[in-house]
Amino acid sequence: MKIGIPRALLYPIFYPMWETFFKELGHSIVNSTRTNKRILDSGAKACVEDACLPVKIMHGHVIDLIDRCDAVFIPRLISISQEEYICPKFIGIPEMIKNSVKPCPSLIVLDYNAKKSTNMAYKGYYKLASDLGSSKKDIKQALERALGQQRAYERALLGGSNPLLALEGLETFSIRKEIKGTIGLIGHPYLIYDRYISMDVYKKLISHDYRVIVPENIRPEAIEKACSIYPKKLFWSYGKHLLGSGLYMLEQGLVDGLVLVTSFACGIDSFVLELLQRKNNRDYKKPLTIITIDEHSGHAGFDTRLEAFIDMMEWRKENGNNISSHGKGLYIS
Amino acid sequence: MVITFPHMGKVYISVKALFDDLRVRTVIPPPISKKTLEIGTKLSPEMACLPLKINMGNYIEAIKEGADTIVLTGSCGPCRFGYYGVVEKDILKDLGYDIEVVILDAPKTGHLNFINNIKKISGYSSIPDLAKAFRAAYKVTLEVDKLIDLLLYKRARETRVGEADRCLASFERMARQVHGSSQILDLTEQFMERASNIREERGFKPLTIGLVGEIYTLIEPYVNLNIESKLGRLGVEVHRGITLTDWIKTHLSLDMKYRQERKTMLAKAEPYLNLCIGGHAWETIASTIDFYEKGLDGIIQVLPFGCMPEIVAESIMPTIGTDLQIPIMTLSVDELTGEAGYMTRLEAFVDLLKQKKGKVI
Repeated sequence: MKIGIPRALLYPIFYPMWETFFKELGHSIVNSTRTNKRILDSGAKACVEDACLPVKIMHGHVIDLIDRCDAVFIPRLISISQEEYICPKFIGIPEMIKNSVKPCPSLIVLDYNAKKSTNMAYKGYYKLASDLGSSKKDIKQALERALGQQRAYERALLGGSNPLLALEGLETFSIRKEIKGTIGLIGHPYLIYDRYISMDVYKKLISHDYRVIVPENIRPEAIEKACSIYPKKLFWSYGKHLLGSGLYMLEQGLVDGLVLVTSFACGIDSFVLELLQRKNNRDYKKPLTIITIDEHSGHAGFDTRLEAFIDMMEWRKENGNNISSHGKGLYIS
Repeated sequence: MVITFPHMGKVYISVKALFDDLRVRTVIPPPISKKTLEIGTKLSPEMACLPLKINMGNYIEAIKEGADTIVLTGSCGPCRFGYYGVVEKDILKDLGYDIEVVILDAPKTGHLNFINNIKKISGYSSIPDLAKAFRAAYKVTLEVDKLIDLLLYKRARETRVGEADRCLASFERMARQVHGSSQILDLTEQFMERASNIREERGFKPLTIGLVGEIYTLIEPYVNLNIESKLGRLGVEVHRGITLTDWIKTHLSLDMKYRQERKTMLAKAEPYLNLCIGGHAWETIASTIDFYEKGLDGIIQVLPFGCMPEIVAESIMPTIGTDLQIPIMTLSVDELTGEAGYMTRLEAFVDLLKQKKGKVI
């Protein structure tokens, strides 16, 4: 069977797992085209207008896969770790697609729910694969191999790689001159690892001769610890991931500045990035910028903001301690 | 300790009754106004949902009147409401307010914490006193909801336009002045009587519309631009998908019969959505189908802009509309919603229903 996998939402995080699982069971895989204007436009047209950019893009990728495969794989990620959720829209994504994409291709839905325990969550894989006609023994073997791949991938990410380098097989971005500093790039994986919608922010930062670290590079225990300053457990896995990694980067002094990328109307970011920003303003006072993107964002404005941010960081390094005397200033003469 | 709490429709009447009975001092935030919204919008994250912005406005206005402790309920996701308390506390901290925020989470996330919080805000009342006060507050909620339902019925049929609205307004004004559950119950009884005396137009068969959607926007008239009254004045009988009573029965009581009913009700959503995705999206779908089965003429879904669970429901609604041949309209509200445009849409929708029913406009 030819299974289509949309390159959207948590694709950059779980792709090795999904790919290995289906290949081990003897299916072939078709990936949707990398995000482009056509995908964005068709997705935005099909989806309800209140939804956020990543969800619209997901719709576009499903539309892209129509007629190119026998069925489209849609993961319903209810929860990816104990007592946590992702985002209500991730839970309802199969329903959203069924009701918005017309004509709708046949869907293979994986119900992944690790709210109680991770082992419970694998039930979804068993159900999905046995519906596709595989034997229990084969599924078990495929799942083990898939998990092996996934763990190796996660280790690579923690070792300093990121999905853009590891998965997309892009040319390794290299810094041409000496490194000027480190920037923490914080954002949901489906934003910062999608080169089209993130306007290639990763590469742009690298080409300004900065080293970039991303949330995927930070160990889960460190994230957990950093988030424990809040009186109530954060119940969004990725919200916690972003907030915790940002706090950890600031706390350990790993970064000279933070670039936060969010999509317009992202419910989770509206809270966690607010908390991160407030904590930074209160205690660390590092340069920080929030860039909001939606389907109307333009490259020129985006670049200007990024350049202005980098200028600000550099000027601050040089002149941050300068207190000008009366009537004089650094930039006025 | 002077307690305050965020507004949500008529919740303040029950909460006031509860704390009055426990002899805890409270400040009810002033009724939500344009100013409340302005304060809230200025202080809250830009992309936060509307209820949070209004909460912030409520707090600031209540603090000015002397409140020093905020009580609100919590939940454990995935809807954003579960983290309101923490974010609100952080914002107030940055503003320099020395305020205690008590988040009442469902007991399952830590019994001890829950009990301690209850003890703290109840001024260490004894368990029987607490139980009594809670029961009385629940009774108040039931009675107030009954009054609202009666007024919804009357508003569509009243001979003198605005009488039901006036009745509700004076009830609310007086409810702020009386003390304790027994006085509020007496007051509610008086107003039940006054409401049932509202003269009805004889033989008039109003259109019926079901309201579904996110609970805060449905219950709080300021946020939904008083949709119940607007529809009522257009001669529409409004049915509510979610009431405060429902919320309490679902989350706080052990009413087994109600739970069973709720299960059957939610099962109606099965062909479209068969799991909880947070917030009230599941209820939205189920109530829509329930209203259809009850023979209502149309459905209106109301949600705050950017509400994560309701967006999923919103994308399912058109399919239900086509499958069941029932008119459905979705209204998303935020701090920029204008009254005129909103009214036009309601009028257009009501006209459409009239035409569909074969009546001459």
